[in-house]
Amino acid sequence: MEKLKNILNKYETEYVEDYKSNWVKAKLKNKEDLLNLIKDLKEAGVKTCSTVSPTDFIDDNKIEVNYFLENLKDKKNVWLKVDLPRELENCEIDSITPLMPSAKWHELEAYSTYGVKFKGHPNLRYFLISRDYYGKFPFRKDFDWKAHEKNLIENVNSISEEFFEEYEENEETFDKEGSRTVLNWGPTHPASGPIRLKVYVNGENIEKVDADIGYVWRALENLAERKDFIGTIVAVERICFMDNPNPMICYSQAVEEIAGKEITPFAKFMRVILGETGRIASHLISMGGFFGTMGLQTFLMWCLDVREYFLDVLEDYSGARIATACVEPGGVRYPLNDYKAWFETLNKAINEWERVKDDINDIFLKNPLMVSRAKDNGIFTKDDVEEFYLAGPIARASGFKTDVRIDEPYAGYGELEMDYVTCENGDARDRLFIIVKEVNQSIDLIKQAMKKIEEGVEAGEMNPAKDHLVRMPRRMPAGEAVTRVEWARGEMLMHLVTMDKSTSPYRLKLRAPSVNHTMVLDRLISGKTLSDIPLLYGSMHICQGDLDR
Amino acid sequence: MSVGAALFYIFVFPGLLFLLLWTFFIFYFARKTLAYVHKRVGPHFNGPGGSLQTVWDVFKLLTKESITPKSADPYLFNIIPIITPLVAALPVILIPWTPLINHGHGILDTNYGVLGLVVLIGVEPFLLFLTGFGSHNKYSFLGGMRILSQMISMEAPFFLAALSPALLFGTMNLYDIMYSNTYLTTLILLPGAVIFIITMLGILEQPPFHIPDAEQEIVYGFYTEYAGTNYVLLKFAEFTEILVVSAAAVTLFFGGFRGWGFDSFLWLFIKIVLLGILMVAIRASNPRLRLDQMLKFTWSWLTPLAILNLVWIIFAKLYILGV
Repeated sequence: MEKLKNILNKYETEYVEDYKSNWVKAKLKNKEDLLNLIKDLKEAGVKTCSTVSPTDFIDDNKIEVNYFLENLKDKKNVWLKVDLPRELENCEIDSITPLMPSAKWHELEAYSTYGVKFKGHPNLRYFLISRDYYGKFPFRKDFDWKAHEKNLIENVNSISEEFFEEYEENEETFDKEGSRTVLNWGPTHPASGPIRLKVYVNGENIEKVDADIGYVWRALENLAERKDFIGTIVAVERICFMDNPNPMICYSQAVEEIAGKEITPFAKFMRVILGETGRIASHLISMGGFFGTMGLQTFLMWCLDVREYFLDVLEDYSGARIATACVEPGGVRYPLNDYKAWFETLNKAINEWERVKDDINDIFLKNPLMVSRAKDNGIFTKDDVEEFYLAGPIARASGFKTDVRIDEPYAGYGELEMDYVTCENGDARDRLFIIVKEVNQSIDLIKQAMKKIEEGVEAGEMNPAKDHLVRMPRRMPAGEAVTRVEWARGEMLMHLVTMDKSTSPYRLKLRAPSVNHTMVLDRLISGKTLSDIPLLYGSMHICQGDLDR
Repeated sequence: MSVGAALFYIFVFPGLLFLLLWTFFIFYFARKTLAYVHKRVGPHFNGPGGSLQTVWDVFKLLTKESITPKSADPYLFNIIPIITPLVAALPVILIPWTPLINHGHGILDTNYGVLGLVVLIGVEPFLLFLTGFGSHNKYSFLGGMRILSQMISMEAPFFLAALSPALLFGTMNLYDIMYSNTYLTTLILLPGAVIFIITMLGILEQPPFHIPDAEQEIVYGFYTEYAGTNYVLLKFAEFTEILVVSAAAVTLFFGGFRGWGFDSFLWLFIKIVLLGILMVAIRASNPRLRLDQMLKFTWSWLTPLAILNLVWIIFAKLYILGV
């Protein structure tokens, strides 16, 4: 920490201070210093950019760009701020992509939504937003959504025509040299989901992959600004339906931090149980989908069968199976009047997994055809993980020891026993195995948390019928917070900014891991054959919901 | 052969009606067994145990519009689905179905039965390639190319494996082969039968060799543009081919309609259904292979093994059967 502070103090800063246990927060005075500072930080081991998040302070006439830089090995992170003028012509800063490739798409996103120009970015273009938002920067505070809607309805024809022009360009001919076909892998493809991969193929061989994203862009970050602090959980949980409770946990922690409230121990362990249940529900789909990409649906069906039991758990608690809205700032949403009955449902789900676990291992995980296709295919090394910031299971499959639950414990994880689960090779098969290992780990964590709650109730320290929620203030003080949780697909980071006496968030940045996982697809798939696309794509466990937000 | 008998053969058994009933049955059977393995219910509401579901499905597809894409070649695109089921049904006349027809011989009793079978079965994929070619669609074309490469590499071991009973018994007449088969010769022919069944999966595009119509990779390949009647006809051809090839396997290696106690079509049917169960079991538990893995497997393992199998057959003929 001191080392990082020394580096930061070499430059002109407004302040350098500690933030939480493993962050250093600093504000740069001159934006010209940015590149040199990043260079120095990189030498000190901070090699990864988690995300770039601009905040539009329209009253102060400035845009504040937040850089979240992480050292994945030593877990010492830097939160860097730079002020920029708000006028579009001057809103310009040096791109850090040449130094930290992991920032590539995050900078594009910041450019598309806020109009922050990044000098020296290899390919600065509009990205993620749909064509009608080009040049309008919709997340700026002065963007007029109503006028935009009116304009869209009037000019829908010219906007769609431009799309068809692009569609015509899909075939490339090199005269006598032959031709290169652009296969559209998605968005209406049996295995793709709402994403389009432009696959440049020569016969069966892939030369290049270009991802076109934004098909499910819902502007959730902007939606959050229009809702109150409780209502925002509904926007946040819709990042991805598969792992539902964890984003709400992340958001709630940020609100609690700004309000300065501490939740009850009971709520902490409830968050562990709900979060791990969500993780298992997500991982079961990922596991099944991995085989689904190779034309085998049996495993998917078996996994969905087990998943139903875990969704029963969520339904028993919150009344909903998918969009549960079960965590809110201040604790968890509902009291648990009969906690023993709920634990029984949980045990039923756990037993169901234990029952099929061995069958799954023998029939599918050892399947020789799967091994022959996935082993040594699409390898990521530890350096790749740091360079492109592959998070969560993908990083751990390469043997990288990273897990927010251990590095920066939140909820009740600090009091539970857990260790990093890792695989060694980092190939597609390991990215399947790590998921199975994590399901087992999650079940272990749920059991521990259940035991803690039972002990707490017996000792009279917890009251499941009353302790679930701490009263939160209706109006928040001014402040900002960064929280992270270990989501099913990797680290989720939220940056919340509030104004004094506000009833809704001023700015909520959602950082989800699938962005980086999609960014590396070109590197992963180029040079392979067509058959490898679904397999390698499936092995990254990408969800378009959190890719586009 | 009288006119009445000929019409019966063409329209009832083993012709049109039989093939249609078989299509309904195997469609339903595959769906229901696969659902059982998937822990699903499968077809349920129409008919006892959902047995009429596939019939309704087929008639629903027949009432749908057959769309010809603007860019496709309209003649090629629409003619191939008519030719394909006809060609697929042709080998039916060579196979001895039941003792009641022609004293147990095939309808066309020829001394070149094995040859006729492998040639007629081998023609089919080239027609499917033409469907992909005529669709003028990137996915369909890739599917067509994949059919060709799979066919060329699968056909060599397929021919060699089909030759092994002919070589052992010294005849290409299917009836003679069937009646020469004993428990001992079945054992001798077992390696050939295994190779035949593996290549059969490749020729029928069944898992793990469903590479040409891989939905996750090339969106069902040559089926991509087909809808309505044309799609039904292609599916009909596919199921007919499954029947013909499995019947050929049973006749060549497992004694055709001969069984314990009495000889009947029932035995043939049971043996075909057992092969069908094997195919569904493989489908339910194995992912798809890559194209290059398939090529490597057929050329560096299957074809040499098929040749070795012929050596073994000649050895067995000389020293075990002692002819």
